[in-house]
Amino acid sequence: MNDSDAVIEIDQLTKRYGEFTALSALSLRVGKGQILGFIGPNGAGKTTTIKILVGLLKPTSGRAAIAGCDCFAQSRRIKQLVGYMPDVFGSYNNMRVSEYLDFFGAAYGIGRRKRSARIDEVLELTGASDMRDLFVDALSRGMQQRVALARTLIHDPQVLILDEPASGLDPQARIDMRATLLQLSELGKTLIVTSHILPELARICDLVAMITTGKLRAFGTLDQIMHNIQQRRKFEVLLLDATPVDRVSELTSKWLDDQQSHVAGEEPDVIGEHSESVVRFTTSLNDQDVAPLLTHLIQQGETILQFREIVTDLEDAFLSVTGIAEDAVSQPAEPTAETDVALAAEEVQGP
Amino acid sequence: MNPVIKREFFGIMRSQQAIAMLITLTLIFSLTVLLRWPADGSVDLSGRRSMEVFRIFGYGLLAGVLFLVPAFPATSIVNERNQGTLALLINSPLKPFSIYFGKLSGVLLFSILVLLCSLPASAACFAMGGIDLKYDLGMLYLILLLAIVQYVTLGMLVSSFVHSADAGVRITYCGVLGLFLLTLVPAALSRGAFLTGWTSSLMNSIRSLSPLPPVMEIMRHESIGSVGLRQSSSTSSFICMALISSSIFAIITLTRLNHRIFDRSRAKGLITDERGLLTRLFRRLLYIVDPQRRKRGIPWYLNPVMVKEFRCRRFGRTQWLLRLVSVCAVVSMLLTIMAATSATAWGVETVGGLLVLLQVILVVVLTPSLASGLISGERDGGSWELLRLTSLSAFKIVRGKILSVAWTLALVLMATLPGYLMMIYIQPGLWLQVQYVLVCLVFTAIYALAVSAAVGSLFRVTAVSTSVTYVIVILLFLMPILIWLARDAPFGYETVRVALLTTPVGAALSVIEAPGFQQYDLLPFAWWFAGVTSLLMFLILGIQVWRLTRAV
Repeated sequence: MNDSDAVIEIDQLTKRYGEFTALSALSLRVGKGQILGFIGPNGAGKTTTIKILVGLLKPTSGRAAIAGCDCFAQSRRIKQLVGYMPDVFGSYNNMRVSEYLDFFGAAYGIGRRKRSARIDEVLELTGASDMRDLFVDALSRGMQQRVALARTLIHDPQVLILDEPASGLDPQARIDMRATLLQLSELGKTLIVTSHILPELARICDLVAMITTGKLRAFGTLDQIMHNIQQRRKFEVLLLDATPVDRVSELTSKWLDDQQSHVAGEEPDVIGEHSESVVRFTTSLNDQDVAPLLTHLIQQGETILQFREIVTDLEDAFLSVTGIAEDAVSQPAEPTAETDVALAAEEVQGP
Repeated sequence: MNPVIKREFFGIMRSQQAIAMLITLTLIFSLTVLLRWPADGSVDLSGRRSMEVFRIFGYGLLAGVLFLVPAFPATSIVNERNQGTLALLINSPLKPFSIYFGKLSGVLLFSILVLLCSLPASAACFAMGGIDLKYDLGMLYLILLLAIVQYVTLGMLVSSFVHSADAGVRITYCGVLGLFLLTLVPAALSRGAFLTGWTSSLMNSIRSLSPLPPVMEIMRHESIGSVGLRQSSSTSSFICMALISSSIFAIITLTRLNHRIFDRSRAKGLITDERGLLTRLFRRLLYIVDPQRRKRGIPWYLNPVMVKEFRCRRFGRTQWLLRLVSVCAVVSMLLTIMAATSATAWGVETVGGLLVLLQVILVVVLTPSLASGLISGERDGGSWELLRLTSLSAFKIVRGKILSVAWTLALVLMATLPGYLMMIYIQPGLWLQVQYVLVCLVFTAIYALAVSAAVGSLFRVTAVSTSVTYVIVILLFLMPILIWLARDAPFGYETVRVALLTTPVGAALSVIEAPGFQQYDLLPFAWWFAGVTSLLMFLILGIQVWRLTRAV
């Protein structure tokens, strides 16, 4: 991505509240039409970042810009460029959906005639056309999310920032929401989406940013992050029963020892689970190098039901990154090879 | 011990506000007695001095009960329902009666603590002599206790019907004010009229719902509070009516404490535009402004926040405003017609005074309910951030919100103009006085609006902001009148005048020469006071909104 392609640019963004650092030197860039999945545990600094981006908070240092406009200095312009959907709906009593959207349209300065057409458009886009006469305070959670998205789109912003858009939705509503977000991306909107439902994000995001304790731990495409994290792959050997678990563990460990002896500092990590009749191990060997292990085990007379790699998904990646980050925080004196891998992601400036 | 009592009582006692309230009350009561404690060496054997102190103490205690007690029961059931804990309670082995009794006892225990805070002061009053332990002190506490039971049961009844804590507080305070003041109006209006049989009993019964007449009787103020129909002691009838009304409130609430309290379907969102022609015509005739018609968009020349405020208020919708205005107009006309038909007994001044009081009561009841949640309502519901995200400036947001209240108050005040026109028609010489009165009323409305909006903006939770605002606004408007009631003793002319200067209501009553207010010359200082205070309040509101809208 060229510098000129970036719609969202965050550079060394820091926010402190007295002694507490909510956000520490966050840097990332998102291009037009891209969907960024913004992941982090509660209190990681996601909402702080978002609030700075929409002009509700002032950064202590660093810069955040959207379409070239500074998020703090040009907050009036930012309001037109950004549509923010917080995790709280913000209901008004005794108001119908159409009146609710009409109010926000008027608040964004859209003329009455254009506003009426725009309300129809956004309701259509979010699949909420049949809700226009319902009262907003009587909507279900799923309906509220659709209306909230319609409200966010009412002034046709370039950038959409959605905080937990799939929270509390049933499976069908989630699928619909996912489709809507992809449709918006196709329309050229840039999206930042936070969610705790990581498989959902994995399906729609072009980019993923992982943040813990105010620091960016990983940033890039899903493949890049997986590649960074999967320095050691996890395999599983499923046996017929629990009797040979210890024997297979020993064989595997010895075999890996022989194969990996040239990899400096790499110890075989083999665990036998009697309750599951499974032996699990991690290795940095590639497919070609690890395949002979199966042949070796069979030759030793073991009956193997399955021999497979455990695929790492976004959830594993997240847990891995947050786990390593926590270790790094609790044991700052001696950085390990793994922490180097994860923390190196902080240096990543873009895909 | 009933676990609900424990939870309710400890829940209230854990809040810092409750502790602060109890300490403040104890200090106020003690200071009041200390200030009036005899400093000279002579002994007043008549008991006049101790009665003066006792009056301040008694009315203060009554005001404390009136302002502080209703806030707690008004939110007790609705909060539980909204937080989902009421469903847990109802699904537990606890019987509805245990739940109700637990909640009632929790709030009552706290209210009794409020009364207990006054014991040192009441003991001091008693020590001064001239106060009877059983018939004065004992009776005062009994009346107050029953008033507490009545207000607590009323608050819980309201709380079982409303959808939000804020609405619970608003309606409860209106109900309490109604029980306290409006119940006195029928008997006051029929003063001098020859009424017998059931009409007389009905008016007497309605009047007995208020604790004010028995308290005034204890304070030897029967001549003010008990004029009209009363012949026998109002204490026993109040005790009777308080018990009956409390029982009715409790029974209705109890019948609601079951699964049916949650049995409410979502509003269907019917639209008249999509119904048959006959229905549309019928609804047009019935409503004039049909609440279920599809609204047109907000025009460019109107502040969107103002329109939004009107639309999201249940009683802000046009059809409700029309009803409110019609009721005001009819009541003011009725008052004037009654004055015209019984002019010998009443006189234009008395009617003028009643009109002013009617408008002030409307302003005092309406304004905090409309203005206290202007900012806190948005913050509480999570929509304040959404407003900040729009292109609206902080000034435009505040202007829209204030205009939405100002227009409503203006409509209500204008609706009572026909009454004044009738007065001028009867007595043309009143023209100048009526103009002054109207200016005073405008100041009253602005003053109440500014105080309500500023005080309400300081809180994050709507229910709290509404409660505190009601207490402050009622205090500001009622205190000077209470001091005026004690104008012969213990308060002298100057004290009463200063107290009345702090409210434009006093000025309006003195201009219209309402009985008891003729001797006070309060203009133009009362206007200056109200104007400057309002400006200060608007400044506080402005600063608060600026604080809340800036990026920090």
